[in-house]
Amino acid sequence: MLTGVRRVEQVMGFPVSVDLRDGDDESVPAVDRAFAWLREVDLRFSPFIEDSEVSRFGRAELDPADLSDDLSQVIGLCDFYEESTGGAFTSWLPGRGFDPCAIVKGWAVQGAAAMLHDAGARRFCVNAGGDVVTFGESEPGVPWRVGVRHPEHSDQLCVVLSLRDGAVATSASYERGDHILDGRTGEPARGLLSITVVAGDLTTADAAATAAYAMGVEGIAWAAAQPGCEVFAVDSERRVFRTPGLPVAS
Amino acid sequence: MKIHRAIPIAVLSVAGLVPLWQYEARPASTTEVAADVGVVPEAQTRTTSEPPTTSAQPGTGYGTPPTTTTSKAPATAAAKTVNGPVVDTPHGDVQVQVTFTGDKITGVKFLKAPNTGPTKSAVPTLVQETLKAGSAKVDSVSGATQTSEAYVQSLQAAIDAKGN
Repeated sequence: MLTGVRRVEQVMGFPVSVDLRDGDDESVPAVDRAFAWLREVDLRFSPFIEDSEVSRFGRAELDPADLSDDLSQVIGLCDFYEESTGGAFTSWLPGRGFDPCAIVKGWAVQGAAAMLHDAGARRFCVNAGGDVVTFGESEPGVPWRVGVRHPEHSDQLCVVLSLRDGAVATSASYERGDHILDGRTGEPARGLLSITVVAGDLTTADAAATAAYAMGVEGIAWAAAQPGCEVFAVDSERRVFRTPGLPVAS
Repeated sequence: MKIHRAIPIAVLSVAGLVPLWQYEARPASTTEVAADVGVVPEAQTRTTSEPPTTSAQPGTGYGTPPTTTTSKAPATAAAKTVNGPVVDTPHGDVQVQVTFTGDKITGVKFLKAPNTGPTKSAVPTLVQETLKAGSAKVDSVSGATQTSEAYVQSLQAAIDAKGN
């Protein structure tokens, strides 16, 4: 009998919730592996760990030929979004060295979700610090309902999305303050209270949301133009701009 | 920096190339933006090359597991040709062949291409709405919940605590 499996652990500095609707006792090893992968990523890709791959790459201690495939992927993604945003998004901030955290999060969690899928899970949801990946449906015939936190009220939602096999990421400053900088100016990003991106995978959704937030108001149109992305943005005047294709739940 | 620029080809899988075809097949378009979207400047299309999606299979949304190996950027300048898998897209089967020379893509050609072109425009018209606040029954909550302190107070924590 499928009883479902739920687990919450703190990994990479944020809480990660796994909700396997079609899981049972036999799913537990796959969930263990998914969390083990996230912990491995934390050790290898944290810029705050001195001997991590990322720290060593930032200090130019790694031979380009010796980069792991994983790090190569992450660097490629960082590079793409930096170019695509005209430098508003950057993983090379002055005084901070190489910090790919904004890319690594979505990429790593998408990888964890893919591991669950490969292990046979077909109806599940992973929420990593507010970034969400869904597979299948919450119940047969019923899509996942993912609420977007209101940018000014932590206990309220501003929209509910309806998802099957999709990912949602939100970038905002309401929690950690001005932690996202506009790489073009070095100043905290301005213009948006929050921006939410829906995409087919969390690698894209998370990177696009963060990059768009760094761009400010012009990031709304930029994100809307990203292939396969739907956008819900709240500007500093509390106006909502969204793409017509956003899967708003009825 | 050099390394920085050399890597994207390593991750430009066939999945990433399919949209390249879609983009090229599309006539240059000017973005239409609703007249009341006054705050969105530069809404004229300024896109778009494709993100080097490491994980997406078009149409499935499924990611490649992180253990999957990807070819690394070659350190030397020998030309290398790679055939991608046949990818089933909404427009038909697509298969590309990519030639790398050193750290650059020097050729992309379609081994299979669908007959009909896509119609999706680059930037959709944005809809403007007023900000709402409310509650609803949801399975998960998206938001910037990056600290454990905030998590404890979040709706997601309530969902996790409640279970199914």
